[in-house]
Amino acid sequence: MRILRCALVLACFGILPAAAQLTDLGDPMSVSEALKTTDTTQLADTPDPWEGFNRKMFALNNMFDDLILVPAAKGYRAVTHKKQRKGIRNLLANARTPVILANDILQGEFGRAGETAGRFVINTTIGFGGMGDPAERMGIEQHSEDFGQTLAVWGADSGPFIVFPFFGPSTVRDGFGAAVDTAIDPVFWVRGNPAQYTRFARTTTTIVTSREPLIEPLEEIKDNSLDYYASFRSFYLQSRKREINNGRTDYSDLPDIGEFEEFDDLE
Amino acid sequence: MIVRLSAALFVFLAFTLTPANADDAAERYVQIILDEAEPALAAATQEERLAGIAALVYTHVDMRRTAMFTLGQYARRITNAQKDAFLPLFREYATLVYQDALSEYSGQALVVTGSVDRSARDIIVISKVKGAEPGDRFADLVVQWRVYRNRDGVMKIVDAGAADIWLAIEQRSQFTSIIANNGGGEQGMDALLRELRNRVKNG
Repeated sequence: MRILRCALVLACFGILPAAAQLTDLGDPMSVSEALKTTDTTQLADTPDPWEGFNRKMFALNNMFDDLILVPAAKGYRAVTHKKQRKGIRNLLANARTPVILANDILQGEFGRAGETAGRFVINTTIGFGGMGDPAERMGIEQHSEDFGQTLAVWGADSGPFIVFPFFGPSTVRDGFGAAVDTAIDPVFWVRGNPAQYTRFARTTTTIVTSREPLIEPLEEIKDNSLDYYASFRSFYLQSRKREINNGRTDYSDLPDIGEFEEFDDLE
Repeated sequence: MIVRLSAALFVFLAFTLTPANADDAAERYVQIILDEAEPALAAATQEERLAGIAALVYTHVDMRRTAMFTLGQYARRITNAQKDAFLPLFREYATLVYQDALSEYSGQALVVTGSVDRSARDIIVISKVKGAEPGDRFADLVVQWRVYRNRDGVMKIVDAGAADIWLAIEQRSQFTSIIANNGGGEQGMDALLRELRNRVKNG
């Protein structure tokens, strides 16, 4: 199944950015051996000057995904009920509130900051610590923010596309943003073994719970792509743009599709 | 003086504060297609559904323009022989892609909710799944259709997207990457043709 289905699934689960950053799967070998080495810096519409390196990291991450993440995600699915998984996702999203709130404020999105704070209070109290999402039923929808998006709102260019080993696809700006998000998370500043275990458990759970709903969509994209790496890169960059715009689509920056006037004559 | 200023202000506001223009004709055009798609999406068997979608794609998608778009900067560098080989292959490939994508909406009906003009000839028509309730998996999903009006005024679909992820843009990323990574130019295009043949053959 193609990209529309994946977009649909990811949009419905609302986990696209986290998943995109935490998972990275692919088999660039499907095209040809030559794909591994050649640079495509000349592709003006694809800022990927480090494609050779990125493809190697992509292959490494794909191997890690096949061996560890997918089996873990399948196991997690096998031992949990759909509602339990939804509850765990809610809990993790609720725990990320400080980071989202800080970025809402840094972006000057005070209305959304109010929503974030409101959701946190409601879900932490009557939502059993965040397992439930009564705030959504009240019409306060979940949204996500991160420092990469904040930098984009401030006007920072994305920089080249980069695939980090084990952390997956990103851009230079978003990679820096992810580091800042880690640093501004209050959990990062708590010392001691319990805090360390908490951090580890949260990170591991986030990775597995993000991967679980993507098992089939990504498998289908992988199977059907002519070049899975290029497909995934496009998918990541397009969805990231949507995230940065907070869903307020700007169609003006779509590439021109009507430039082939001479082909009208052939119709 | 005041009258002149008011007139200037009116003209300024008329040109700057107009919301993103809607294109009624493009909206009607897409709604007709979506109405035609409804029985196809409701078909009892997968074969009927896929055949119905393929018929719609053949009729309403501007394959030539979309195909050339997906080649990016290579569109004007390929030989005529390669172009002749590419266009029918792309048509089959794109049909498979649309069949996969639209099958997701089996049993659903889509309804046009608005449009945005990129230019007088390049229009984005926005649709949603009819009757999707809050909490539904389709509730917040926006399905977008890019309509291009050629110089004779004939409209056709040139791309489709969901949640701002566009099919032809994703295809272009793949195609240009394959061409570039296989030496670019004619050699790269031959590699793309091989990949497309394999993909189409495997269905």
